[in-house]
Amino acid sequence: MSSTAFESIISQIISDSPSGEITEVWNDLIAIAGPSAKDAILDSIEQYNIQNTVPVDIDGKSVIISSYNKEGSKFYDPVDHKLFSVDHLNRKGLDIEPYNSTTLNTFQQTILDGLQNYASTNFPGQVTLAVYPVVEEPAKVAIIIVSTKYNPSNFWNGDWRSQYIYDSSSKELEGNIDVQAHYYEDGNVRFKSAKEVRVSNLDDVVKAIQEAEEDFERNLDTSFSELNEKQFKTLRRKLPITRSKVNWGKAIGSYRLGKDAAQGN
Amino acid sequence: MSSVSPFDAALDLLRRLDPTRLKEHLHNLIQLDPSLAEDLLASVDTPLTIKRDPKASQREYLCCDYNRDIDSHRSPWSNEYFPELSAEDVQESPFPSPRLRQLEILANDSFDIYRDLYYEGGVSSVYLWELDDEDNFAGVVLFKNGNQSSSSWDSIHVFEAVRTGHEFTYRVTTTVILHLDKTKQMTLSGNLTRQTEKTIAVPAAQSSSQEQLNVAHVTNLGTMIEDVESQMRSMLEAVYFEKTREIFHQTKSSTLTTEEINKEAHEQIIKGLQGL
Repeated sequence: MSSTAFESIISQIISDSPSGEITEVWNDLIAIAGPSAKDAILDSIEQYNIQNTVPVDIDGKSVIISSYNKEGSKFYDPVDHKLFSVDHLNRKGLDIEPYNSTTLNTFQQTILDGLQNYASTNFPGQVTLAVYPVVEEPAKVAIIIVSTKYNPSNFWNGDWRSQYIYDSSSKELEGNIDVQAHYYEDGNVRFKSAKEVRVSNLDDVVKAIQEAEEDFERNLDTSFSELNEKQFKTLRRKLPITRSKVNWGKAIGSYRLGKDAAQGN
Repeated sequence: MSSVSPFDAALDLLRRLDPTRLKEHLHNLIQLDPSLAEDLLASVDTPLTIKRDPKASQREYLCCDYNRDIDSHRSPWSNEYFPELSAEDVQESPFPSPRLRQLEILANDSFDIYRDLYYEGGVSSVYLWELDDEDNFAGVVLFKNGNQSSSSWDSIHVFEAVRTGHEFTYRVTTTVILHLDKTKQMTLSGNLTRQTEKTIAVPAAQSSSQEQLNVAHVTNLGTMIEDVESQMRSMLEAVYFEKTREIFHQTKSSTLTTEEINKEAHEQIIKGLQGL
């Protein structure tokens, strides 16, 4: 197999992994492909972490890494003024140093405060927030919410991720919400949902996010019920139409006779 | 470092990756380590495919690794492989013995009635094969039902039946693959597996005909499969519609009351204490 084909397979597998199970996937892949695959796997995990705005531990504080706070091969926290490298497998900061090139202005700080207030009552998981200036476009700011709840001892993990760009000159908010739940006791069940969000002409960006996310949550609850009622229940009955269990054995053919008789055959 | 075998690692991975892309990942893993191919294909249940039997009025039948030979699948209706194999290949192809084929015909007939009663549509197929001892046998009972591409249910019951004296022990491993999809909004997809075992007396060989014994086997397997499917249906309903929804609300909930937050914190403390 060519090295491009190999890297593409590794990257497909990593990009499809639940965020809370990357370490297990890493171990599995090494057991299958051997220790020589480590570099390719780590490269994919690094891309995964940036793309999925994964929080990393910086001196005990959880900081989201993304394309918005990336500088060269390092990342920065504009709130606590730190620059750091990342151990992408263990999601920890390395070589942490002071940093003052990009900081939040008053307006961005207000968004962060409002977001913290909103998150404290709406995200029961492990929640991490980010408000990052978009360096090339001063009117824009990136807003990210990551909420996770991992319970591997009970075989389930859940992830919420929403990210937006707010343009303060056009007063437009654009972004998306991505959620998933993974349940893997005696099986493998995945729930996934995603939605694009676009709000124009808004006054209060945090309020707009809160409304969009509550709307998303309500719609999901409705969809769960609909899928149960309209699809699941039609796939297989709980009991036959006769309301009793099947009478197995030689006489089972009489069901067919009964049906044919009812249809006048 | 871990000393997990590549095969166990591959099974663990397939339990973690998105089940809607199972076939793709299976293919990827086999490319990473081609020596895994045979074991993985034999032990990982993928959604069933449907073929038509040109020698049984185009009647549909289900295909999986158990009725496959080369790239053809044996139909339970005509007992032939399609696409048709060369005369040379057919010589080598697996078929049940004439005696076991009688049981296979009866099982297909009975489970087809069961399918109609519970699924009100869909396709069923049963395939049997010999085990080393001539009294014993193994097989697979399959059901597939779905409407359009937005939802599908695949049941796969792999079993073996082993005689000890006047009793048979039936060991059944059941996997249900359930896919539900609300276009562009959400998908709920995956599989659950469970194993059951029962030992049941059958009519003594000298006092009964082969036909009576066959009826007893189908009755025993039928009852077991009916029970396990009912349990699986409840389990699937609980996992798909309660558990995953609850996990979602553990990450985001606009209606979480202070009471619930406190209860949650309390449970965490108790868990912490139990872990000591």
